[in-house]
Amino acid sequence: MTTQRLAAATTPSSLTGEGSSQAAGLASDGRAEPGGRMTGRGASKWVGLCFIAPLIAFLALVYVIPLAGVAEWSVTLPKPGVGQYERLASDPLVLSVFLRTFRICAIVTATSVAAAYAIAYVWVRGTRMQRRLTELCILIPFLISILTRAFGWLALLSNRGLVNSWLQASGLIDSPLQLTYNEFSVILGMTHVLIPFAAFPLASAMRAVDERVLLAARGLGASRLRIFWSVFLPMTASGVIGAALIVFVFTLGFFVTPAILGGGRSIMAAELVYLRMFQSPDWGLGAAVSVTLVVIVGLLMAALFRLARPALLGGAR
Amino acid sequence: MNEAFQKDCLEILAGKVERGEISRRRFTQLAAMLLAGAPLALRAGAASAADQQLVLVNWGGDALKAYDQAYGQSFLKETGITVKEDGTGPTEGAITAQFKSGKPTWDLVDADPFSAISLGKQGMIEPVDYKLVDKSKMRSGFGWDYAASTYFFSYVIAYDAKKFGANPPTGMADFFDVKKFPGKRSMYKWGVGMWEAALLADGVAPDKLYPLDLKRAHDKIAAFKDNVVSYWGGGAASQQVMLSGDASMAIIWSTRASLLDKDSAGQVKFIWDQGLISPGALAVIKNNPGGKDAAMKFIASTSDPQKQLVMFDMLGQGPANPATDALIPADKKKYNPVDPANMKAQIALDMPWYADNYGAALDAFTKIISA
Repeated sequence: MTTQRLAAATTPSSLTGEGSSQAAGLASDGRAEPGGRMTGRGASKWVGLCFIAPLIAFLALVYVIPLAGVAEWSVTLPKPGVGQYERLASDPLVLSVFLRTFRICAIVTATSVAAAYAIAYVWVRGTRMQRRLTELCILIPFLISILTRAFGWLALLSNRGLVNSWLQASGLIDSPLQLTYNEFSVILGMTHVLIPFAAFPLASAMRAVDERVLLAARGLGASRLRIFWSVFLPMTASGVIGAALIVFVFTLGFFVTPAILGGGRSIMAAELVYLRMFQSPDWGLGAAVSVTLVVIVGLLMAALFRLARPALLGGAR
Repeated sequence: MNEAFQKDCLEILAGKVERGEISRRRFTQLAAMLLAGAPLALRAGAASAADQQLVLVNWGGDALKAYDQAYGQSFLKETGITVKEDGTGPTEGAITAQFKSGKPTWDLVDADPFSAISLGKQGMIEPVDYKLVDKSKMRSGFGWDYAASTYFFSYVIAYDAKKFGANPPTGMADFFDVKKFPGKRSMYKWGVGMWEAALLADGVAPDKLYPLDLKRAHDKIAAFKDNVVSYWGGGAASQQVMLSGDASMAIIWSTRASLLDKDSAGQVKFIWDQGLISPGALAVIKNNPGGKDAAMKFIASTSDPQKQLVMFDMLGQGPANPATDALIPADKKKYNPVDPANMKAQIALDMPWYADNYGAALDAFTKIISA
């Protein structure tokens, strides 16, 4: 098994890759690759552009232009100026919703990346059986509708749900625990949804780790724990950053899961936009909230590509 | 806006049609409607109006079929005008966008009366032509300048009959009394009816409710907050919170309360006492493509009791025409929110008040419940 993986993971370039640059970014791996890439690079650039041109045009039409309209609303409704942004900055509801959104998103990012790291580790480095099983456990929930999963958690965690019935039957508790309609259930439900999104980039980062580096560490007498902390974890660090940013950006726009599992007491940013746009129509403020979110997401995406591009691209090999 | 209710009706219908065997695709569609982010899937099939055609915009899904069967087909037979149903969802925002485009593609919208009134005052809605629409076929007080009532539902108290079966609650004071009726509560996330509930519980006389004393209502709601386990935003969630035992009492839509009463094997029951009656209505967008008169004629045609009976059977909506009440079989009368016996026990929401105050009131309410 080990030799098989070793062979699969080994490319000529990784022989040349220095340990430190491997840890910093796996792109060195790809960039150092001789031949292939260099031939016809100029032509492929144009061909590539042609291939993605329809996508760019499509996105401009259905996404960028309407978004520009929303941005315009935020500074023109009900009257021109930055009044809505001033309101946004001083409105206690908006502030509390944003703070809650960032707090929940940070926690969810930490929990889902941590869980996904363990899962991806088994997925990439486990036995054949373990890998297949992990694959199923990641993919099956991934394919089930978010709404179904949210109601599933409600059924599981409610007062008369499975968890509370078991705990009561086993005598551990007398009265049911309040497990739903709070931030706990929102975080649990969101983590469940987001683990696959973190597991994919992590798994590709882990697949890119050169097995021989680990063997070398072992040969030099490092313990398994030491190998993990000093070699494996640093080598997958860019994958962790990539996964964390992907998850965080996703969480900012979450609507369904917090709306159902939060029971209306943990309103998050996306629901606030809905409230402003539809329930108490105030397009200007709704647009200002949207634009603020988009700006934050945009900055994070920029950071994502700067920090984690190697892991994302390197993993696609 | 209170459009979540209209969406919920469609979901109830879907459940009935499919008898619990809801496919994932269906469920996703319903989710889109129920949670109302943006029913994009439905927008794809949007109809647009032309000559001899009216576009009726409601909340989508299988109820398109119900509206078509109850109203659309017979209107075509009577007038030769095709009625196309469009499930885009006429939110206040969407109606505004239609009007402001200068060339609306919608004729009729299934909107909250207070939205129609508020938009009408801004010149976006055609006044109802009561020469064509017969006001005498409507309950008195439910025909407004910019909207004509076409159905009713109520906000009622549903309770855990296992806990309170021997001594059920009798009104909003009991809902807010956790000493006498222990357990958690669930309320409506978008405020409608909740202010009235709080004020009634606080001792305000039903006929002295309006204009609402919002400060007093919000104080009551803020003080009660710890007893509220969830604020539901859609009908399915309101049913779930009662069935799961997470709440021992909830103020929910009468359509959902009726379903719980029928399907929960006696576990959950509801009362009409101090229920809050909420009308649904049709309104006509100003400069509508199909012509004002055709749209008014369609509204007039919906007052037929036989047609309204179809809607009651399929969606559980109370009929707008009082003549329909008598056609409802005796064993189903208890589910009609506007049956004379049930209506007596309830209080109607004041649509003109909502038209002027809803946005600001909801802001304050949201601040309290999500703080």
